[in-house]
Amino acid sequence: MRLRAGISAALAAAAILVVGWQAGAQVTASNASTVTTSAAGTTGGTASGTGSTAAGATGSSTSGSSSGTGAGTGSTTGSSSGTGSSSTSTLGASAKAGGTYAGTAVETRFGTVQVQVTIKAGVITDVTALHLTDQEQRSVQISARAAPLLRSEVLSAQSANVQTIGGATYTSEAYLTSLQAALDAAHF
Amino acid sequence: MQPTSKPSEPGQGSADPRLRSRTFTSMGTVVSLAIPAAPGTAPQAAAEELEAAAAVVEQLFNRLDRTFSLYRPDSEASAMARGELALMDASADMRRLYVEATEWRTLTEGAFTAERPDGVVDLAGIVKAHAIREAGTSLLALGLKDWCLNAGGDVLVDGSPTPESTQPWLAGLVDPEDRTTLLTAFPLGNRGKHALATSGTSERGHHIWSAGLPAARDEGFRQVSVAAADIITADVLATAIMAGGARTLALATSRWDVDVLAVKNDGGLLATPGFRNLAAQNS
Repeated sequence: MRLRAGISAALAAAAILVVGWQAGAQVTASNASTVTTSAAGTTGGTASGTGSTAAGATGSSTSGSSSGTGAGTGSTTGSSSGTGSSSTSTLGASAKAGGTYAGTAVETRFGTVQVQVTIKAGVITDVTALHLTDQEQRSVQISARAAPLLRSEVLSAQSANVQTIGGATYTSEAYLTSLQAALDAAHF
Repeated sequence: MQPTSKPSEPGQGSADPRLRSRTFTSMGTVVSLAIPAAPGTAPQAAAEELEAAAAVVEQLFNRLDRTFSLYRPDSEASAMARGELALMDASADMRRLYVEATEWRTLTEGAFTAERPDGVVDLAGIVKAHAIREAGTSLLALGLKDWCLNAGGDVLVDGSPTPESTQPWLAGLVDPEDRTTLLTAFPLGNRGKHALATSGTSERGHHIWSAGLPAARDEGFRQVSVAAADIITADVLATAIMAGGARTLALATSRWDVDVLAVKNDGGLLATPGFRNLAAQNS
């Protein structure tokens, strides 16, 4: 789960790096299985953009933005998007060089995320999460999405064990027969 | 940090003799303020503190109700609904809350709206949460550290039911299938979430309209509870998810630091990790 999320974030940043570095050359693909990335940026040595990722297999989603600095040589505006099943990226003729590029650390609600991309012969060969921890420096729970849950998996509770009762707004008449009324009576 | 749930431990929950509450009726529902007596406080002093705090909260609710209620023909909101008062001529309170509601409409991509299908400005979806927020600010200004305010099932807390401890307030959530039982409970105050709001329909299949987004019946929810740092976020998102369905649920959990428990029309549950049985996780 965390790995997939990390890869998703990394690829989002990678797509942006590719855009910046590509400098106007044709972008073919930049994707991994179950991942869709999209990015847009203005080049000129620096590319920045917003990438959103969605891991289709489990349906988790998160959004963040990332930006990266690449060895851009042109000054054009480029964008890339697409879906595919490959975990590598094929680059155009002007991007046959290799190198390792670190993206900018990005603050997300899940913590700081920073990725590093290694490119050899125009192909992304490695994506590493340089930084993927929360404020307490623990592993990041990247998804806070709502997932199906059995009733036995939520905290069981009885009205005698809680201090207050939440629920859809009741009328003052409905209050009279509500659990909250019983609690208030007990606390009077 | 102590475990968030000790359902069977005596001396907590309503068995705690130090917890006292007062109720009053406002905005068509019942508001309840519960405050634990601080250790060493004389019973009489604690009772007077609660009475004084409840009086402040009641005045605040009633003042806002006189401005915003569409059930009062003499309210500012009613004058606007009749077309006698333009928004730009309305009070600062009215305009401020309208702007806030409009911002939430944008943020929720139309799922939350402050306008009825007939175009009448209806801030009912945010007024109660606004009153709870203002009341909370007043309670803090009064110097109260530990309190629980429940307005018709929407809850805002501060501190702990056990003064000078880290024990969270435990809020039960009514089971929409059976109002006399609890579906679960959520610890409030932990991880900065002090507010819990619930939106729901009493009848299956009820339609909620919002900006032309009728929730599809098969993906609709019967009850949605949202825990957040503040009551406005919790209340607006609970309403928005009820209206917008699964799409708005995904939007809410990705954009805001909230916990959500949604009861689907078929009785199934969707929950963020915060609603999982924390006691089981800790063991």
